[in-house]
Amino acid sequence: MLRYVLRRLGQIVITLFVFLTLVYFLLEAQPGDYAQTFLSNPKLTKEQREALKAQFGLDRPLWERYLRYMGSLLKGNLGISFEHYPRSVVSVIAERAPRTILLFLTAQILSFLLGFSAGKVLAWRRGQAFEYVLTIGGVTLYTVFTPWFGLMMIWIFAYILHLFPVGKFVTPTLWRGAPVDANYVFIRILLSAFVASLALFLVLLATRRLNLALRRGLRGAGVLIILAGLLAYWLPSGITRYALDILYHLILPVMTLTLINFAGMMLLTRNSMLETMREDFVMAARAKGLPDGVIRDKHVARNAMLPVITSFIFSIAFVLDGGVITETVFSWPGMGLTLLEAAVAQDIPMVMGGLVFTGTLALLGHLVADMTYAYLDPRIRYT
Amino acid sequence: MAESILKIENFTMHYMTKAGEVSAVDNVSLEIRKGESLGLVGESGCGKTSLAISIMKLLPENAVIKGGHIYFDGTDLVPLSEDEMRRFRWRRISMIFQAAMNSLNPVYRVSDQIIEAMETHFGNIDYSEAREKVANLFRLVGLDPKFMDQYPHEYSGGMRQRAVIAMALACEPDLIIADEPTTALDVIVQDNILRELKALQEKLGTTMIYISHDIAVIAEVSHRIGIMYAGKLVELADAEEIFHHPIHPYTAGLMSAFPSIIGPKRELVTIPGEPPDLLNPPSGCRFHPRCQYATEICREKEPEFKDYGSGHMASCWNPLEG
Repeated sequence: MLRYVLRRLGQIVITLFVFLTLVYFLLEAQPGDYAQTFLSNPKLTKEQREALKAQFGLDRPLWERYLRYMGSLLKGNLGISFEHYPRSVVSVIAERAPRTILLFLTAQILSFLLGFSAGKVLAWRRGQAFEYVLTIGGVTLYTVFTPWFGLMMIWIFAYILHLFPVGKFVTPTLWRGAPVDANYVFIRILLSAFVASLALFLVLLATRRLNLALRRGLRGAGVLIILAGLLAYWLPSGITRYALDILYHLILPVMTLTLINFAGMMLLTRNSMLETMREDFVMAARAKGLPDGVIRDKHVARNAMLPVITSFIFSIAFVLDGGVITETVFSWPGMGLTLLEAAVAQDIPMVMGGLVFTGTLALLGHLVADMTYAYLDPRIRYT
Repeated sequence: MAESILKIENFTMHYMTKAGEVSAVDNVSLEIRKGESLGLVGESGCGKTSLAISIMKLLPENAVIKGGHIYFDGTDLVPLSEDEMRRFRWRRISMIFQAAMNSLNPVYRVSDQIIEAMETHFGNIDYSEAREKVANLFRLVGLDPKFMDQYPHEYSGGMRQRAVIAMALACEPDLIIADEPTTALDVIVQDNILRELKALQEKLGTTMIYISHDIAVIAEVSHRIGIMYAGKLVELADAEEIFHHPIHPYTAGLMSAFPSIIGPKRELVTIPGEPPDLLNPPSGCRFHPRCQYATEICREKEPEFKDYGSGHMASCWNPLEG
């Protein structure tokens, strides 16, 4: 398994290299001289302009610039953003990425949970009225024009009902004089979510081989301890109100994305469930006298989830696709919005940086999907 | 005579399909004594599997029980709800499935699947104790316990079959229904497993119902044999008796359609025609369109399932001379 992962990482590096080379020359081949856009500022003198050009390396020939870019990329340096000058691309990504990850990860996980549970029930109780309601409703939302739907959600929930903020990711007045910046809080939220899920997973794993009563007791205790741990971490930290402010801004975009995306998961789960339900081991599980819910969840859904999980992980890797639109509609200053602004402003280093981020995320996503699959399906072993 | 454990009375079950009602099991009555082993033989689609899954009430949604009773140890299973039925499944009646190869869930270890059955019926059991029990079951069915923590795909066909048998024994049921338990295996493994099943049955005193299309397989393991044709039980007798003195022409036909290894070499005789369409079963005796002895009455009236002496039951208007 380790050898497999190492080999795959090698492949990922090569694929990323090819991808970036292609993107680099494609951007280079675009019409217009992007250097001019920034250097044509009339306040600059000719000398300043030449000095800046030399500083950015824009006076060098294409191949030399390419080699220098790749060279500094290896050192983790993605250059300076034109638009956010003098900030480096890496620092802009470090600031924007957590916001995107928090928004889309939450939305994707919720879509998965909602879609998977709905699909499970649809397959299990076929032919009832709510099957048609859920399917038609889900597919309508799935195919709806995203910006329009996003605006409708804002109009209804923020403008008319005043339930949620209209846009942005924080309330500026609250954050005035805050002890930490938003990014710090974002990263804390992400980290605690990660640690909590990891702990939950370990509890489930560790209690797998215990007898029924002990297993249930320990799992309940585990969940309580994790919750207590989260509270113990957040309550005394003094930044809880800021975190809550972020979560409050998160609700509407997450709701929108979830409503748009869950139908995909739902239909995939439903079909996969119906296929699995015909398997002989499901009949055997019934014969064993297992309760209905156990057959559905432990036997059918556990097998039916394999293709759904794969699709889920891939969808996480490609969050930036939808991010461009959703983040624009909700004025959520994450990677998608940054990428869009950079592309419009011809901020080439920033665009490249965004694509490095997307590419890496997508490739790592595939690796994680493969590893998860191998974990979930014992028939698959990589060598 | 030991007391009866399973008593089926005039049991009728239909499948509702788009094309119409299929009468899969029609007015079947039979009784099985404790510790006995009964074989059910018939062509594909004759209703033997339908009868088996009716006993466990594992019927698909389109199946409708039209009438009759299935008394298991005195309780009529027919009116029981799904929840009440669960207490009988596996704990009292377990099953070795036709597709034993696929009746293990591919994503769980074999040991865990057996423990799951025990946990469901015995509640809070100690894990290491349960494992010890699984190891004993493995030894009982001729499997090395060191394989118990492997996944089903790591087993060979014969091993999986044995694992499925071990699982069927896990809750010490009173009745085990073995539906084509060895059909998917090669002849050598088939023979071994049948012999072990028989030995196990004698050792544990479990009641068994064997289901197969292969009368030779059934003869090896059953005390009594029932012959099913087109959803009906047409003949029922002791294994010896049915072999030497078949009463129903269909039974005789089945017997001559199988080669005998030990007996004299003879031409195999097939039964002409095909099993009837159960959407529209023939009038009178359902076998009459294929029966060489058929007379007028066979077309018109259904023969009664009656005793031809010493428990040899058959339904035929023109019984063969015993």
